[in-house]
Amino acid sequence: MNGAQYIVQTLKQQGVTQIFGYPGGAIMPLYDALYDGGVDHLLCRHEQAAALGAVGYARASGQVGVCMATSGPGATNLITGLADAMLDSIPVVAITGQVPMAAIGTDAFQEVDVLGMSLSCTKHSYLVENVEDLGDIIAEAFEVARSGRPGPVLIDVPKNIQVAPVEPRATVPCTTAPNTLDEAALAEAKALLAAARQPVLYVGGGVGMANAEAELRAFAEQSGIPAVTTLKGIGTLNPDHELFLGMLGMHGTKAANLAVQQSDLLMVVGARFDDRVTGKLDAFAVNARVIHLDKDAAEFGKVRHAHVGIDAELTEVLPRLTGERLAIDPWREQCRALKDEHQWRYDHPGEGIFAPLMLKQLSEALDDTAMVSCDVGQHQMWVAQHMRFTSPRNHLSSAGLGTMGFGLPAAIGAKLARPEHESVLVSGDGSFMMNVQELGTLKRAQLPVKMVLLDNQRLGMVRQWQELFFDGRFSETILTDNPDFVAMAAAFGIPGETITRKEQVQPAIARMLQSDTAYLLHVRISEEENVWPLVPPGVANDQMMESKA
Amino acid sequence: MNQHNLQIEAQFRPEVLERVLRMTRHRGFRVDDMEMSTSADCQNLNIRVTVSSERPIQLLSNQLAKLMNVTRVEAHIMEQPLKKSA
Repeated sequence: MNGAQYIVQTLKQQGVTQIFGYPGGAIMPLYDALYDGGVDHLLCRHEQAAALGAVGYARASGQVGVCMATSGPGATNLITGLADAMLDSIPVVAITGQVPMAAIGTDAFQEVDVLGMSLSCTKHSYLVENVEDLGDIIAEAFEVARSGRPGPVLIDVPKNIQVAPVEPRATVPCTTAPNTLDEAALAEAKALLAAARQPVLYVGGGVGMANAEAELRAFAEQSGIPAVTTLKGIGTLNPDHELFLGMLGMHGTKAANLAVQQSDLLMVVGARFDDRVTGKLDAFAVNARVIHLDKDAAEFGKVRHAHVGIDAELTEVLPRLTGERLAIDPWREQCRALKDEHQWRYDHPGEGIFAPLMLKQLSEALDDTAMVSCDVGQHQMWVAQHMRFTSPRNHLSSAGLGTMGFGLPAAIGAKLARPEHESVLVSGDGSFMMNVQELGTLKRAQLPVKMVLLDNQRLGMVRQWQELFFDGRFSETILTDNPDFVAMAAAFGIPGETITRKEQVQPAIARMLQSDTAYLLHVRISEEENVWPLVPPGVANDQMMESKA
Repeated sequence: MNQHNLQIEAQFRPEVLERVLRMTRHRGFRVDDMEMSTSADCQNLNIRVTVSSERPIQLLSNQLAKLMNVTRVEAHIMEQPLKKSA
């Protein structure tokens, strides 16, 4: 057996059944080992899409996503996907081919110091220098990727290591020691909860990553604390609960932002006070004490002081805090009133398609198991605002890095992870073009991913900011030269249609969902539609701009 | 600008120093002085680094402590700032 065959064997031992990648010179031995190695590989059409496909797979399944690429440009193309996984704490293992050890540092063909490049966008990275270390490194990489705060790990494997003979042996088990719960901090948290009169539960993506949705819902239900989520926390709480106020932050609901601003206690669970969430930090929930629960203790006090920080598995700590319904009836009434007062409005004039209403209708046509991937921009915020999610594994959105081009590869990865569930992409015309070559991957794999392309012929979110904050100087955001998207999909063998009027929406959604193949629903929308509400830069979250209509 | 001394112990890996310095820069700290030595068996590294920043030292020390090959991080405030060389 050679190193490459040993890699495939070790991946199988880790439970890997699906890899995303793109071959090249320095990783050919590994591709040769994959040929009859018993692991499925999806040939993407760009290494960035391979990494983002692995991210989508990991997010939808809860498993570690695996991607691979060759040295040099192959490896550098993976970097964006790894950065995306880093910012959103997604467990991914990337394997890159490298030039032979003897050639490293000689500026050999397709050589780049990928270990050095990866330091800032991976949780950890390895250069394999001895074929005997391969098994232990791979086992450790998987443990690092999924343990604690999950994240991406890169393994760079020189070509001579891939072809070197190796005797398979048992890998050294790699485990991380569990933390013991800090009982004093727990008691302090309980005391703060009991004393609070206007508490808010602020839920981030860490809850879903920790598979702690059930514990969180039990806590929320029992305590009766009004709750909000971050973008990545969407789906964690019951979306229909009367005390769920929606997403907070720059494009959050008015009810969520007002409640947080008025709170006297924030119980922050698996979240990290992102600047898109807090707005002007000095003005964010100024009267609130903070209980911060997270697996990553380095988050405590990083942005906002935590009066109590508890570093523990959320599945362990949340039940310890669950028990009493808090005596905060007036506050609950106040939050219910906020929610009632600030409902979304869909009474949009004219014959054109109003994207928020269309996404609400799309959501109503999907069942609770459907996975929705999106790209980045106005459509991403409309998805977060107007679609309904009952699990964080069903809402795949590039939150931390904001990666345009994320959606299509993520939707492909999600469909491979959960083939029994519908995988729907909602994209914008700018984002779609960032990884449009993956239509070829979609066709090759015969995956029935449904694509809704909201086309305003603009880079919509940038255009919105140019309109509002740059005196309407629309610098390089006008995309009236977009291609014929339906014809382009057809060139890849994917059917589709274009709609322009509101009465076309529901029949078109039905046709798309009835299709047993991939399908592109191209939706023309107004270039002037903006995402509301909006917290402008430099102000507090309760000073939200709203539509003048 | 506060100045702190960090004592860092790490397993020897060729890139550990690079990881530590990258993290220090990226988290907003300036390296004013540093020393590094390997243990007698070349398995471990001892790094002493003096850093300065407006930011609390915990922002850096907590992040350094998370690095895979770092085994211990201790931070101490410098009582007397380093003299600047001419």
